[in-house]
Amino acid sequence: MANHSAAVGRRSPALTWGLRILVVGYLLMLVLWPSWYVVQHTFADGLTGIQTALQDPDVQHALLLTAQVSVLAVLINLVFGVGVSLLLVRYDFPGRRALSALIDLPLSVSPVVVGLALVLVYNGRYGWFGPWLEAHGIQIIFSWPGMVMATCFVALPLIVREVVPVLEELGDDQEQAARSLGASGWQTFSRITVPGIRWAIVYGVVLSLARSLGEFGAVKVVAGNVAGETQTATVLVQQKYQNFEQTTAYSVSFLLAFAAVLCLIVVALLRPKASKESP
Amino acid sequence: MIWFSVLVLIPLAAIVVKASGGGWHTYADTFSNSQTLDAIKLTVGTSLLVTALNMVMGTIIAWVLVRDRFPGKALLDLVIDIPFALPTIVAGLVLLSLYGADSPLGLHFANTRSAVFLAIAFVTLPFVVRTVQPVLEEMETDVEDAAASLGASRAVTFRRIVLPTLVPAIFAGASLSFARGISEYGSLVLLSGNLPHHTEVTSVRVMSYLEGGNTAAAASVATILLVVALLAIVALDVIARRVARRDGRDG
Amino acid sequence: MSIEVKNVNKRFGDFVALDDVSVSLPTGQLTALLGPSGGGKSTLLRIIAGLDSADSGSISIEGTEATHLPPQKRNIGFVFQHYAAFKHMSVAKNVAFGLEIRKRPKPEIERKVAELLDLVHLSQFANRLPAQLSGGQRQRMALARALAVEPTVLLLDEPFGALDAKVRKELRDWLRRLHDEVHVTTVFVTHDQEEALEVADEIVVINQGRVEQVGTPDQLYDAPANDFVMSFLGDVTTLGGELIRPHDIEVDVVPGEPGAIEGSVSRVLRIGFEVRLTVLTDEGEVVTVELTRTNARRLGIAEGSRVYLSAVRGATRV
Repeated sequence: MANHSAAVGRRSPALTWGLRILVVGYLLMLVLWPSWYVVQHTFADGLTGIQTALQDPDVQHALLLTAQVSVLAVLINLVFGVGVSLLLVRYDFPGRRALSALIDLPLSVSPVVVGLALVLVYNGRYGWFGPWLEAHGIQIIFSWPGMVMATCFVALPLIVREVVPVLEELGDDQEQAARSLGASGWQTFSRITVPGIRWAIVYGVVLSLARSLGEFGAVKVVAGNVAGETQTATVLVQQKYQNFEQTTAYSVSFLLAFAAVLCLIVVALLRPKASKESP
Repeated sequence: MIWFSVLVLIPLAAIVVKASGGGWHTYADTFSNSQTLDAIKLTVGTSLLVTALNMVMGTIIAWVLVRDRFPGKALLDLVIDIPFALPTIVAGLVLLSLYGADSPLGLHFANTRSAVFLAIAFVTLPFVVRTVQPVLEEMETDVEDAAASLGASRAVTFRRIVLPTLVPAIFAGASLSFARGISEYGSLVLLSGNLPHHTEVTSVRVMSYLEGGNTAAAASVATILLVVALLAIVALDVIARRVARRDGRDG
Repeated sequence: MSIEVKNVNKRFGDFVALDDVSVSLPTGQLTALLGPSGGGKSTLLRIIAGLDSADSGSISIEGTEATHLPPQKRNIGFVFQHYAAFKHMSVAKNVAFGLEIRKRPKPEIERKVAELLDLVHLSQFANRLPAQLSGGQRQRMALARALAVEPTVLLLDEPFGALDAKVRKELRDWLRRLHDEVHVTTVFVTHDQEEALEVADEIVVINQGRVEQVGTPDQLYDAPANDFVMSFLGDVTTLGGELIRPHDIEVDVVPGEPGAIEGSVSRVLRIGFEVRLTVLTDEGEVVTVELTRTNARRLGIAEGSRVYLSAVRGATRV
């Protein structure tokens, strides 16, 4: 049904324009204009800013590390996220609602707190499991497993929140039909369930990726910020800025921002296609 | 499938661990530390103000996105999501470029309390908008036409018919906005200057305790943050239900 | 005249919803706007209400020029197909809404609400939420709400369209009785010809944005102005190139009437006391004939019988 009341005298041009200007103005001052300035700073000397930045071995290492950690975190979250979604929607068990509420927790927790939590458990010297793990050659804190875990934690809910509603809407009729025709659990999953939720998975993955690339606080706590070794791109930005290597800071920021916006655009472009397909 | 839940519990257990990592006397010490206290006051106070702003602006933005039509509106929709996807440290740089020392507008907010407000407003922008938007989209204009046919002006229709329907969504968004606000770290690191007693937020405080090796204090402050977030979520839920009930049941 | 519609035009993009429509709806009467879906009747109703605006033309209500008045000022009552109940308000609050807007004193509001809820038999649901009511009950509430402000005109847009058959019939009767009691000028939109024929004092048939005919149910049924009205208001069949009602055809097994059309029965359907014949005439027309069982038996008609068809004297033909 129509979303715009067409009644006589309904639209007051003054109010409509007033609201539009207010909204556009607010977004302009808060998001658009400042973002534009980052772009300006980055390209102040044309492409040399970015080129110099990319030639810095610290930057190269940081970007590579960020990419590796993010991809790994996204993959882990994909498997886990889809699994948990299936668990929450298709199975009933005591504590299900608690689990559902807990899944949303990472969104409300400060990244520094996340880092702290992981450190307390896995720190090699005084953590719970830390010493035991290190004795077996597995170092979590100040090393990449910790960073992956931290990134996993913060992006955890994103895939679940996209997949769960779609799973609920699909209903398990089709899965039941498949099973009655003899399909095994895995076959049902791969041929029936996955195609049904594939767009939700895609959004979840893209959003997860954007979030993982951007993680700062948690990773900083867990990784210890050793340049060239455990410094991710985001942490690098802070260090470079504070060392007055601002152009580099802006260039790397631009790259990160560009990746994030790209993710958003991909999701925005894919959504109409997905709704055309839905039942 | 059971082993999946185990995987969730490990990081979550870590939080419980952190909470118990404090010990009672540490809480007392932390609270009596005036620097920490100021940080908490600043964080909670600013987040409350920003949340209030978001409740109003978020609803207006959602309204314009759903009810208005003009070229470039889809672009605006994308812009709303930028604060959500952008790395927080980059957000700090972004705001610094317009409102920092080199500001072309002459607005020098860096290292001031306004910077804290600005950064938190930036990162919490999407929350109320995104919870209100689907509710507005679902709303049929029939009820607004009905109110008009009964003599209600546009303002009355909005106040008595539209707004009550939106209240739960606005408050849900407000919870998220507040929780996010008090947790903010990355964007404030560069922008606020982290001046003790003045522009230092709670997460920065936790960070300094950590870097100083005082994990017990860090843990206690972190717990306080979590408790505040939890209280806020519960309080907002209660208020939302109170407001919704007021309009409905008498008569 | 209560409502005067003059030369109203309305397009949605390329689609012409209303094409130069003019009609007068008398005061105190229950009028139906009847026609197929997409024909323009809802659009016309909404324009009368002020919920949509005409591209050109004028509306006046009880002598007042209303074309540019917003719906708030037209003193109308509108009932929607999907109830448009204020979900967060109780039934009583819903009904009281219009009065509260007009800032009536509280005791007056309470009295009126009680009166109306009594009228629509919803008194015991006063404090319930609309979600707790059935569809039929919600529509009755919507009616009470619209009547509370004592409107000059009551407009109903396919009011029973969302309800199931039995409830629809009940509410139909109920609306008629309500109108007899309250006497407010009422206009309702429907695509169900049975509903219009049963309930309305006068029917305006609208098709493809144009008024086909205006008249009482009898007038429309017995003296349809054209093909469309005739076929919309009842069963029709073609005999000799003309439209005629299947029960207005005389059947004989011997050539009697001059001009009778010859054919053979291809199908015999018995439905209760009625018999429906499908006759294939020698000219290739397929004619449906309805007659009573008694008659069919008397004539000894069966599949394959040769029959002679002619119109009953005084039959409506178009």
